[in-house]
Amino acid sequence: MHHHKPLLNQRLSRREMLNITRCGFGSLAFMGMLGSSCKSRDKQSMDFLSQLATTPHYVPKAKNVIFLYMDGGVSQVDSFDPKPRLAKENGMDPTFKIDATQFNDNGKILQSPWAFKRYGESGMAVSELFPHIASCVDDLALIRSMVSNFPEHTNANYFLHTGSGLQGRPSMGAWINYGLGTENSNLPGYVVLDGGLVPPGGVDNFKNGFLPADYQASIMKTGETPVANIQPDSSMAAFQKDKLEFIQKMDEKDREKSDEVEAAIKNYELAYRMQSSVPELSEFASETKATQKLYGLFDEDPNTRSYGAQCLMARRLVERGVRFVELTCPYQKGIDRWDQHHGLKDGHERNAHAVDRPIAGLLKDLKSRGLLEETLVVWSGEFGRTPFAQGKDGRDHNPSAFSMWMAGAGIKGGAIYGKTDEYGYRVEENPVSIHDLHATILHLLGVDHKQLTYHFGGRDFRLTDVHGNVVREVLI
Amino acid sequence: MRSYGEVKREILALKLLLIVIFGGQVLFSCETKERASLPDRVDFNYHIKPILVQKCYLCHGPDPGSREAGLRLDLADGATKLLESGVTAIVPGSLSKSALYHRITDSDPELKMPPPASNLELSDLEIGMIKKWINQGAEYQPHWAFLPPKISQDNLEAPMATQIDVFLQDRMKENGLAQGKLADKYQLIRRLSYVLTGLPPGQEAISRYLADDRPEAYKSLVDNYLNDPAFGEKWASHWLDVVRYAETKGHEFDYEIQGAWRFRDYMIRALNADIPYDQLVREQLSGDLLTAPRLNPETGQNESILGTLFLTMTEGTHSPVDTKKDEADRIDNMADVIGKSFQGLTIGCAKCHDHKFDPIPTSDYYALYGVLGSTRFSPIPVGNFKEKHAALQEVHQLKQQLREMVGSTWEKPTSDSVPVLLVSQTQSKNTIQQGNSGRVLGDFRGPNFQGWKTDGEAFGVGTTLGEPILDRQTGELTGLKKGMASSRILGKGIYGALRSPDFKIDHAYLGVRARGKGGSIRIIMDNFQLISYPIYGGLDQKVNDDEWQNYVFDVGDWVGHNVYIEFLPGSFVRHTYRQEPDAYIEVAYATAFDGEWFYPEEGSRYSPVSSLSQAVNRYNEGNSSAADVGFLNQQLNAGKLKHHFPESRKTLLGMDLLMATIRDTVFIQGVSEGFARESPIFIRGNHMEPDQQPVPRGFISEILDWQPSIQGPGSGRREVVEAILHPDNPLTTRVMVNRLWYHVFGKGLVETVDNFGLQGKLPSHPELLDYLAVKFREEGWSLKTMIKAMVMTEAFQRSTTVVNGNIDPENTYLTHYPIRRMEAEAIRDAMLFASGELDNTLFGEPVPVHLTDFMQGRGRPGQSGPLDGNGRRSIYLEVRRNFLDRMMTTFDRPTPFNTFGKRDVTNVPAQSLFLMNDPFVAEQASLMARRILSDEEQTTEDRIRDAYFRAFSRPPSPSEITDAKKFLASVPTRKGATGESDSDAITIQAWKEYCHALFNMKSFIYLL
Repeated sequence: MHHHKPLLNQRLSRREMLNITRCGFGSLAFMGMLGSSCKSRDKQSMDFLSQLATTPHYVPKAKNVIFLYMDGGVSQVDSFDPKPRLAKENGMDPTFKIDATQFNDNGKILQSPWAFKRYGESGMAVSELFPHIASCVDDLALIRSMVSNFPEHTNANYFLHTGSGLQGRPSMGAWINYGLGTENSNLPGYVVLDGGLVPPGGVDNFKNGFLPADYQASIMKTGETPVANIQPDSSMAAFQKDKLEFIQKMDEKDREKSDEVEAAIKNYELAYRMQSSVPELSEFASETKATQKLYGLFDEDPNTRSYGAQCLMARRLVERGVRFVELTCPYQKGIDRWDQHHGLKDGHERNAHAVDRPIAGLLKDLKSRGLLEETLVVWSGEFGRTPFAQGKDGRDHNPSAFSMWMAGAGIKGGAIYGKTDEYGYRVEENPVSIHDLHATILHLLGVDHKQLTYHFGGRDFRLTDVHGNVVREVLI
Repeated sequence: MRSYGEVKREILALKLLLIVIFGGQVLFSCETKERASLPDRVDFNYHIKPILVQKCYLCHGPDPGSREAGLRLDLADGATKLLESGVTAIVPGSLSKSALYHRITDSDPELKMPPPASNLELSDLEIGMIKKWINQGAEYQPHWAFLPPKISQDNLEAPMATQIDVFLQDRMKENGLAQGKLADKYQLIRRLSYVLTGLPPGQEAISRYLADDRPEAYKSLVDNYLNDPAFGEKWASHWLDVVRYAETKGHEFDYEIQGAWRFRDYMIRALNADIPYDQLVREQLSGDLLTAPRLNPETGQNESILGTLFLTMTEGTHSPVDTKKDEADRIDNMADVIGKSFQGLTIGCAKCHDHKFDPIPTSDYYALYGVLGSTRFSPIPVGNFKEKHAALQEVHQLKQQLREMVGSTWEKPTSDSVPVLLVSQTQSKNTIQQGNSGRVLGDFRGPNFQGWKTDGEAFGVGTTLGEPILDRQTGELTGLKKGMASSRILGKGIYGALRSPDFKIDHAYLGVRARGKGGSIRIIMDNFQLISYPIYGGLDQKVNDDEWQNYVFDVGDWVGHNVYIEFLPGSFVRHTYRQEPDAYIEVAYATAFDGEWFYPEEGSRYSPVSSLSQAVNRYNEGNSSAADVGFLNQQLNAGKLKHHFPESRKTLLGMDLLMATIRDTVFIQGVSEGFARESPIFIRGNHMEPDQQPVPRGFISEILDWQPSIQGPGSGRREVVEAILHPDNPLTTRVMVNRLWYHVFGKGLVETVDNFGLQGKLPSHPELLDYLAVKFREEGWSLKTMIKAMVMTEAFQRSTTVVNGNIDPENTYLTHYPIRRMEAEAIRDAMLFASGELDNTLFGEPVPVHLTDFMQGRGRPGQSGPLDGNGRRSIYLEVRRNFLDRMMTTFDRPTPFNTFGKRDVTNVPAQSLFLMNDPFVAEQASLMARRILSDEEQTTEDRIRDAYFRAFSRPPSPSEITDAKKFLASVPTRKGATGESDSDAITIQAWKEYCHALFNMKSFIYLL
């Protein structure tokens, strides 16, 4: 009947929670990052009660989400949405109505510099940009009819991440952790693996907004210090344990004074454990050569190696029960993310080269370990690009149509949903909004997007605001 | 065995039961075995409304859009009327006739209310409550917070602190609770010092207080802290949370909000000077409109106008594709923050539909939208307002004198009777003239600004028309000036703006004939300010040519948009306003046209007849037309008028000297008054779907139903302020005293400090809240008086020890003082205090934020700020929306995007990790160690004692001394660093570890 242990936890008051966790060091729940602690702190409020009154469970298909965020906006007509008509009309003035774009320097129809081929049993068409991802098409459900509300990065980023174009709202990773909690008490439930490019809009894309601070993303890097302040002063590292014991001893007299103080004391035990569990994440020595190769860790392109490391770390995170992992793109000098306002060919090629092999490696590795069944992999930018040129050889932003795909838990592999017009400029059939995408992701996690609410400033907020429909066509 | 669901429902029912009994104030606890019973008299506000709001209003509340079956339960009329279905929901006194009762008790899921699909459910207790209420006559009462505060006259006699204690003790008695004992002096002085100043008490202050046995010892301690400048710093930080204080605009490039930090200083000064709260409300909403602004006694700065940063601290997007939407977002934020800050109301909820719970129809939202839409963003110069004003006044008078000096000598012109062909004043009264290929938006070649609005003082009171041009050396009059709008009419270097009325773009181009240096012409579309490449760059043109030029704006893409034109002597650089001392702008006219440049005729030249005497008369009356001036110049050139004025040289010199002293060089982003512009309702909040009729401006007219709608030419902000401060406004005082109470006692009397609406919590002590609200107004809105009364209570002075046997787990009745986690700022400041590094300099530019590798993204400052923030108090650390200080964020300082009157207190590993490992903490520990060791005479015990006073404001216990000594001895020597023989280094290392440990103890970050 109850599939969600964390949700069950949410129904306990913090006092009960403490009673459970008082059993000892080892069984201590992750007081900060576990949704339960905050939920119960809100226990006095009416909204918390109504929250408790809901039973939003479906059978969850996914336990974790890996969000491969394609910062800047991949061109749909150059990746997953082939448009032969562009080749026919290449160099001609567009005959269709054009919306205002950000740069309003709209040129001629621009054909894709890359050829498309069909792959797999599904025969899904993929361009030459992604030969490795192409080998996984039967695991992907492709949506070609995505639309966003914003033609400009920052708003579109906030929208994709938080369901609102405005700054300051909780990110979907925060919502999901608020709803489900984490499964690993030694790691945060929401991790952003920073590849070097924080998207426009900054870290507010990953914040908790009005949700308690517990739910914000922990930004991690691959490398020695994945998280801020995770390592003690190296010269005195060995002594740290003694010091913490001394602190704990001195705190003992205050322990019984209030629940808050007790929880804060316990928090140190957890933080201490994180110091070892977090750096261990990027110790790849335990991975086989073959695995490392699969992710592109030996590639000659340093960006492929870097993104490969992020992908491998993402797998290690979900393996350890981290609920939501987002990967940002690697920083490449001379190109601005996927945002090719000019130099489409060079820019998209270099970006694709950095992510293609690692992503395919991730999908295959997850699959071979049985993790893909419980992990939802989401690949998307904040919008698409125009089928006509900006200047001579670039493409401007296009929120009216773009492609994204999902793979893994609950996803109908090989499915293609939605259709754009002959130019790939606008959606013609089955538009899917960002809210729909969020609703679908929550659905796969077993959460009804209409029931996941948080009361702030006099209103029940939702990730999907007052919108959102689950895109059932891409689900098993 | 019972299913999980059943157990859960039982738990839930129990919780609701408790909540209902205790008016929503009580902690739920599973262990509580108490049985609830119905009250003797069921109260609508306390017992029934919470049920209706949570369980019924979504479909039967004030919003007609979501109302089902025509039934509304928020009003007695609605609940008791005969419904179309032929039944009546509530028949007072008759359960059997009340359809509502049947529906909520029906077992048929098709009929049961609330419908099972809503996931809402009424508990048995709730049903029992409703039943009893209907039987007792189903009496409705208005929402408590919308009724004026009421107090009994007897209560006004006693001193405030005593009276507060009486209120609190009454409730304790009612609930059978015993009050706790008073705190010891160490605990009390630490608490008082933190609550009032945000800093720990100094060791000297502690000793003094400990030794002071006088009965008034505590009172004088309170007075000391209230008079400490640190008081303003602490309490300003609370208000900054309310106003979503930030120094940048966030979004993509995180542009600066010009001079935002001056708002912080303004607030600190105001709180220290105990400026009455009503004045602060007035200044924050309308500081630019006060006829007698409040001046800084030391600097002469106009303080009032700094308050308007309250409005402009919104986010800002540099390139929205839809400016109308952008304007809607900005105004939405302002409206929301105004509502929450001053009224504890969520006005923003009425953007798309009538408020679901509160009586705020969506028309009220757009009534306020009109007010804010008629308010324009504007640079505001800061500096010595008083001196500048006096100097400009004088220059203006001297100019008048010159004019009179010249004109009066012409009083009896020789060729008096000769009629000449000339102008009359018959210029079209329409400020905007229609032409064949274009139209005139403003023509400044005549005497006046034709309905355009000046802001600041640069443009004077009219155009330059007829100003005498006098040689500074000789005093020769070489002519009279032609008409133009000039920002240097009184001299260069002062700020001013000339702005057109709002108009809709109806031509492909706008044209302005202008000249200047460093000046700019901006087309402000939908109040959009961050004009820049790639879309809007063309809407802001620099005027940097001393020769007259035609400036053309291609606005073809924006036909239909609402715009105004503004002329500024300076210009915006990276969205901050700059003005060089010699900057100016002069404008002849502005037009709208298609195709060719549109030249407006100076029709006057060919106009009717006048005579020299008439021209001179009009000149002396200050009513010259352009033609008069042309004619007088002719006469002057012909030598027919006196032109030698040597006596003018002194006046000219005087003017130069006066102008040399004043320069506007420093600016903030404030607001200025626009033209009244009412907004229609946007259907479902969509700006693309405006309703037909504009909504008259006003302020929450259904709650404050005594006010008329706002008329008149201004924005209406003055009227909004009046409505907020009106004696009949039931919210303003309550909301503010409750905020003060929250900061003094850790919890508001109304816990939802930003929401006094129907979804807010009920007050735990309604009479006390009303008493404080009434006193607040009586005491002249003095914040310090109120805070003092609160900290003077016994309740504040009680120990944190829980009283045995009391059942009040949330300490609602304040039988003891709550244990509180200190705020982010206080924790950091306490470290600096302990290390001796605290620099208590007041005010000034923010200390740049310290950046770590984990703080990346666009708009990242080129350089990181210092790790220790230069030792300044945390309130002076920069608040960049996209790069918030890591420590502040970790310890729950809110993200500044909306009113956050009540902070979260979270407990996350990042906090422990920060205290364990952050280099800032380690550095301060090391500095503290050195400081403690600096006196070589001291024994280890002295030093431990010193450390305890620094960290915990108290002496250590004997066992704490023993433990400390043991710890110090256990610290291993650092290998290789300075060599094992270096005993100093070893000692420092040991003490550093010890101090670091102190920072990590709970008693460091908690008020225990």
